[in-house]
Amino acid sequence: MIRRRFPWFSYLVVVTGAVLTVVPFLDMVMTSFKGPGESGTLPYRFLPEAFDLSNYRAAIHQLDLPVLFRNSVLATAVITGSVLLTSSLAGYALAKLHFPGRNFIFRLVLSTMMFPPFLFFIPHFLILVHWPLAGGNDLFGRGGAGLTVSITALAMPFLVNGFGIFLMRQFMVSIPDEVLEAARIDGAGEFAVWWRIVVPQTKPVMVTLGLLTFVDAWNEYIWALLVSTANPDVMTLPVGIQLLQDYVDPTRTMPIVMAGLVLSILPVLILFLLLQKYYIRGVMLSGLK
Amino acid sequence: MVNALAPETTERVHSPRDAGSTGPAVDGRRRTRPRRRQAVVAYLFLTPTLLFFAVFLILPLGFALLLSMSRWAGFDLGDIDPVGLDNFADLFVDGSTFLTPILTNTLLFALGTVALALAGSVLVATCIDKLRFQGLWRTLYFLPIVTTVVAIGNVWKYMYEPGGLVNGVLNALGLGSVGFLQDPDTALPSVVVVQAWASVGTAILILTAGLKSIPESYYEAAALDGAGPVTVFWKITLPLLRPSLLFVCITQFITGLQSFALIIVMTKGGPGDATNVAALEMYRQAFSYGDWGTASAAAFVLFLVVLVVTLVQLWIFRRKGEDT
Repeated sequence: MIRRRFPWFSYLVVVTGAVLTVVPFLDMVMTSFKGPGESGTLPYRFLPEAFDLSNYRAAIHQLDLPVLFRNSVLATAVITGSVLLTSSLAGYALAKLHFPGRNFIFRLVLSTMMFPPFLFFIPHFLILVHWPLAGGNDLFGRGGAGLTVSITALAMPFLVNGFGIFLMRQFMVSIPDEVLEAARIDGAGEFAVWWRIVVPQTKPVMVTLGLLTFVDAWNEYIWALLVSTANPDVMTLPVGIQLLQDYVDPTRTMPIVMAGLVLSILPVLILFLLLQKYYIRGVMLSGLK
Repeated sequence: MVNALAPETTERVHSPRDAGSTGPAVDGRRRTRPRRRQAVVAYLFLTPTLLFFAVFLILPLGFALLLSMSRWAGFDLGDIDPVGLDNFADLFVDGSTFLTPILTNTLLFALGTVALALAGSVLVATCIDKLRFQGLWRTLYFLPIVTTVVAIGNVWKYMYEPGGLVNGVLNALGLGSVGFLQDPDTALPSVVVVQAWASVGTAILILTAGLKSIPESYYEAAALDGAGPVTVFWKITLPLLRPSLLFVCITQFITGLQSFALIIVMTKGGPGDATNVAALEMYRQAFSYGDWGTASAAAFVLFLVVLVVTLVQLWIFRRKGEDT
């Protein structure tokens, strides 16, 4: 039981670390309630004089928050839905169906996880700009702004996820073949087998993968920044808040920025606290997210 | 858990059924038609995925390679001018900032992050393992991971300000204020601290999984021998944790080499080039200066660095066998 000896030292370390982790968030929340002239001044004060809600009102107005929120929700929903659907379909094919080229495709899926995302920013952007027959482009992708004018551009590069396919396949492999065979003998087509038997059995993994994807999509910054630079109408929450931060006097508007940040991280935080078991499992499975 | 999954990936693909030995010939003939139909269905199920990989994986890789060996200022696809390896040569020519300070910064950033995050996570993970309410603690340490980089970057940027929390604490201790992000000497370490702070949670999780796999009996034996907690940590915990440590170390290093979102948010690479890193330089060449060629060349150089690290990682884990 030596693991449990000297807990005071462990408590000291863990509590100190937890304070260091949580204090920046508390500072964010406290600053979001500070009145004009209360932030960025010397000497530093942690608590606001009065809990002033006007920053939240200001954030909602100055940021056009409802629009940013809608864009973020739409992009996140489309990405999460698509990743779940394509991962489940492809995972089922790779785990349970027999077809020529299965080995090759599985290797392709695995290899997609090895390519660093920054390699794709430029080509993805140019591909969307030159997307044929979209945004005023001709058949050869010339003349217009392509898909960068539409909200689809936010989601496009993230619609399929190699890790998601891999994860689904790994879980589906363990579903007994006999169960699927029985359904087939009863006359179910492959689509019915997938929908009626495989999908219900993989629900916990779906929640895990869905949550991982949701958090990543909601917090995505660089790609959303690129797309909304080309077309401000599709700006997402992180991009909008960063923009506010960039262009206005930091000492005066910091409380407003912090209010916006609190609002933007709230949905993910709530979801995480409700479903953290699944999220933590997902991070352990993906290893390095 | 990652590791439990890994071995079967290679085995299950080579399903014995693929060999075609499915019992008697009659049975085999009866099965060919469903088999063929199954192949059609399988490809139907895979169609969205394969289309996506064609357009967003294979085409971009070719496109990036083409761009890295071309000069192309505009948006008209007809204007791409092939220049061979000139873009790569430009990156390493005398007076170019790519090697120093940018690539050096990239390595320092990654190394600094790994060192800090590893030290912090080992300490915290081993201590959490001895406490009650482990789930609660891990949830707290997890907050930065589910938070957007914009929030993390801005809060820390604000905390580093003269009137911010960090300087507030320094002042309260009787020390002078530090212009953390404004001073070229402190800017990079200041960002490294934030990146490490943000990645400690993941590392704790992976190390916890490693800690749980160390048999309790080792600790009991050590207790019987009268070993103190420090000895136990150095002689038992750390050596047996080595596979997890190595995994955290290398994956975080690769992540560190590629990171630049936090830097965009906090310093935009400044002051001067003090916090500029390779991925950020690629991003700026492309989207601030419209120089796709140089940007793509920079991307491939960084990719090469990441690839080498990844191969070293694979090599180490192969040598270690399945226990990683």
